[in-house]
Amino acid sequence: MSAHPPRVLVIDDEAQMHRFLAPALEAAGYAPERADTAIAGLAAIARRAPDAVVLDLGLPDLDGKETLVRARAFYEGPILILSARDAEIEKIEALDAGADDYVEKPFNIGEFLARLRVAMRHHLNRKGAPAVINAGDLSIDLLRRLVTRGGAAVKLSPREYDLLARLAEGGGRVLTHRQLLTAVWGPANAEDVQYLRVFIGRLRQKLEDDPAVPTRLATESGVGYRFMAD
Amino acid sequence: MTIADPVRPDPDALLAQVKRQGRGRLKVYLGMGPGVGKTYEMLSAGRRRLAEGIDVAVGVVETHGRSETEALLEGLEILPRATIVYRDRPLTEFDLDAALGRRPKVLLLDEFAHSNAPGSRHPKRWQDAEELLAAGIDVWTTLNVQHLESLVDVVWKITGVRVRETVPDKVLSEADEIELVDLTPEELIERMAAGKVYLPETARLARERFFKPENLTALRELALRRAAQTVDDQLVGAMRRQGIEGPWAAGERILVLIAGDATAPSLVRAGRRLADLMMDAPWTVAHIERSDLPASDGRQPRRIQEAFRIAAQLGGSTVVLTGSDLPATVLDFARRNNVTQIVMGKSRDSLMRVLLGRSLGHEVLRRAGGAAVHFVSAGAPEPDPGPPPPARLPRKWIGDASALALIALASGIAAVLDKYAQGANLGMIFLAGVLAAGLLFGLRSALVAATAAIASYNYFFLEPRFSFVIGHAADVLTFIIFIAVAVAAGYLTGRVRDQARASAQHTSAVTALLAASRRLSGAATQAAGATTLAEQASAAAGGRAVVLLPQGETLALAAAAPEPVELTTAEMTAARWAWEKGEAAGSGTGTLPQMSWTFRPLVGVNGPAGVAGIEMAPRAGVEEERLVGAMLDQGAVALERAELAAANIENEALRRSDRLRAALLNSISHDLRTPLSTVLGAASTLIDYGKTLKPAVRGDLLASIREEAERLSRYVGDLLDMTRLEGGALNPRREWVDVRDVLAAAIRRIERRLGAREVKRDFPGELPDVEADPGLLEQAVVNILENAIAYAPDGLPIEIAVYEDRANVVISIEDEGPGIPRAEIERIFERFRRLDEPTDRAKGERKGAGLGLSIARGFIEAMGGRIAAASPIHGQRGTRMLISLPKAAA
Repeated sequence: MSAHPPRVLVIDDEAQMHRFLAPALEAAGYAPERADTAIAGLAAIARRAPDAVVLDLGLPDLDGKETLVRARAFYEGPILILSARDAEIEKIEALDAGADDYVEKPFNIGEFLARLRVAMRHHLNRKGAPAVINAGDLSIDLLRRLVTRGGAAVKLSPREYDLLARLAEGGGRVLTHRQLLTAVWGPANAEDVQYLRVFIGRLRQKLEDDPAVPTRLATESGVGYRFMAD
Repeated sequence: MTIADPVRPDPDALLAQVKRQGRGRLKVYLGMGPGVGKTYEMLSAGRRRLAEGIDVAVGVVETHGRSETEALLEGLEILPRATIVYRDRPLTEFDLDAALGRRPKVLLLDEFAHSNAPGSRHPKRWQDAEELLAAGIDVWTTLNVQHLESLVDVVWKITGVRVRETVPDKVLSEADEIELVDLTPEELIERMAAGKVYLPETARLARERFFKPENLTALRELALRRAAQTVDDQLVGAMRRQGIEGPWAAGERILVLIAGDATAPSLVRAGRRLADLMMDAPWTVAHIERSDLPASDGRQPRRIQEAFRIAAQLGGSTVVLTGSDLPATVLDFARRNNVTQIVMGKSRDSLMRVLLGRSLGHEVLRRAGGAAVHFVSAGAPEPDPGPPPPARLPRKWIGDASALALIALASGIAAVLDKYAQGANLGMIFLAGVLAAGLLFGLRSALVAATAAIASYNYFFLEPRFSFVIGHAADVLTFIIFIAVAVAAGYLTGRVRDQARASAQHTSAVTALLAASRRLSGAATQAAGATTLAEQASAAAGGRAVVLLPQGETLALAAAAPEPVELTTAEMTAARWAWEKGEAAGSGTGTLPQMSWTFRPLVGVNGPAGVAGIEMAPRAGVEEERLVGAMLDQGAVALERAELAAANIENEALRRSDRLRAALLNSISHDLRTPLSTVLGAASTLIDYGKTLKPAVRGDLLASIREEAERLSRYVGDLLDMTRLEGGALNPRREWVDVRDVLAAAIRRIERRLGAREVKRDFPGELPDVEADPGLLEQAVVNILENAIAYAPDGLPIEIAVYEDRANVVISIEDEGPGIPRAEIERIFERFRRLDEPTDRAKGERKGAGLGLSIARGFIEAMGGRIAAASPIHGQRGTRMLISLPKAAA
């Protein structure tokens, strides 16, 4: 444990959640902080920005998305969403509004902590983004716009490259359909999910060992895609 | 068609073809007369098919004892016949239902024009064939050309024999295949001489007339022409389907005008023949009614109906036109419908009308414009169909007699006046008599009275008396004026009275319709609509009426007027027929016409809504039929509306239960998942980091797992209780219960969750038992206590008191929580209703799913008790729950 463990703010109205999250976070080397309402959480962020925020979407005093938008106005750090499995729309809206990732309730503490780590690493990376992203024998050179697999160059169309680059920059985060479409095809095509399906399919043909069982370009069904970096 | 327009198939022709799909094919063996070998030919072909492995069965074949034909039957399956008892005589008849049940691929059905025994489903065999075809069975049949409806007159002219058993031309032209069985007349006569032609006993007399070479030649020509025409039709049909262009005789439309006399059927047939000549031009049969006159001849409506029926069978449409200026009405209709050909009977107008140029035919001809006008001489007058209705003759006679009596009375008064008041104007007395006759009995009586008055006045009162001679010159003038005035006055009053009566009839019809419409639109439910419709239809028809509505798969009697009406099996069959086929059945139709009822489908905007059965009064005329028809149309719409309204209510209930389900789902997803998250999260934390955690933290995590598991268990219990209440599966036991014991048990159950709250008990020493289910009562109390714990802050007491009033034992549970807003107090017992305050939740004091109080109420009410809430009770705070249960009878 370092002398200055990263501070993680958990915003949740359920006392029982804090009851196990606090010791778990502590045991994993974080310094947990607690807020029971959205307003209290926003106040805590404003007072002293934590290293990461865990936000429950089902807060009684403020809509989850609204909380997120307000937090993003003055907070750039990683935000991890806690959400019920059937609230698909809420999840997508939260991701579109700037959340880094989500965990579905009920969850294993191991998965929760892993997601938290990815989100935090991504933000560390962003400060000095690496020019080359590696995933197994795959390497993406963002400066030279070059993709190689096992040392050999992979031929990609400009659109395919853009899509792969956006996903890779995400560093393991989920990117929603809308985010990807807006970034690659422009806002006018933000709803054309079928484009994505086609291009993800092509990328998998070129990059996956077995395109039928993708390990690098993972589908988050109903939400978006995720690039599984090393 | 323009050149640029690509040649497209005629949509109507394609539609007709689509309609035929799934239908059986009709093959007709057509001959010029008996004995040409149609049956022989049909059976031979049937045997060939059978040999090819096709399922062929014989429905009916008349061999007439001819051995060569009988030999052909061997090896063919012959379906059993049905026996119908008619007037105590058993008749064997083709068994339609047996054939439908057997479902052969091809059914051989001899003698297409045969009339079925009374009591059969259809009066005619060709109608049986229609049903078989509709069921997808191929039918082969035999037909002599003289049985064709449109040729009846022609055959009569050729042979002098009037054929009774007829087949509509439409049926033959819709046949898929016609095979002409031909023989030269000489051969046929030879065969007959050799005894190879069977003729029924009755027809033997006609034999001499019928089987003459010239007759046979003419009939043969008819048969050949008809067969050729069908081939032609099929060719044209095929060309139209394939979009081949040709000189289609497009645009021809035929209007046949009929009067209510005996020539109407011949005119209708003439129309059909003309339509045939014009490549099946559409044709309409119209009857025109004077709007200002009531139908005078009692036989007219019946004849018109008969003519309309024939028209429908021959494929024409029918219409009744109303107007005061007949030629104008006809020509207006003709222009609006692009009629190009008008067919009418040769005028039998009175000489005067012809001389005045007022004959209908004359007028139509003069003003016809572009339309061609055909005058057809009356064919053989046909005997009246059915028994003549009770004639209105007696009424006329009464009118005449009354007119004479009135004039006799006037003469008497005049005689008295003449004696005692010399110089009185006696003419006025007679005029009064004429006017009275006209007003009371109409035009005819007025004219009779006027004639009698003139005679009486002249004979009794003009000098010289008791003779028709007029003595004074001045009297001649007076008398002439008197005649003129009497006739004019009589004519005018009579006309006025007749018109008044006609318009009164119309008015009463319209009024009845309006009243029915108003009452029908007021009917909120289908049952009410059906009852109203039956009553109104019964009143309009002058007989009984029933309404049948679909109930699941079947049709059930929904209303009858006047009550009660029992329908026989045959009548129910007709009703079902009307429902299934969407056609009228019963009296006056082609299906089961022997009964007194007519069943008509009630077709609304979206399809059939039910069936109405009407028993028309025997004297009912066209006017009444039309009124009933209009009423049924309205009734169908009203029933449909009621059905839609019912469906709407059902939808509303469904929507409400959908909302409830959504709330339930929401509740389950949140209230089940939250404790599960804690359990899973705490458990996985213990597994992953157990070793590094302090013992106190480990203990806390374990405790949280147990608490949340208990919460889950309670919640699942609540859901199960709710399900039992909702499903009606709750059967409370009835025991004598001491409420204090139950309360003590309930408090024990929630003890651990009380925290720092104190439970104050105020129980009396003596308490009568209540009759209740101890388990349900305990659960209800627990739910109320849990509710109090959830809302009242920790540290404040909960008070439980028990007391009795006159008939009940009352349990009172009070907390000192924030209370319930006045607006909410009635709704706290509703499902999924909870009063959430964020601050409470943040403290981890989650309320239940909002089911607890709802379940408590359900349980208490199931035991015959009541539950109520009062709040606030201590100033601004506190809630009191009261449970009252009836004391057990001592």
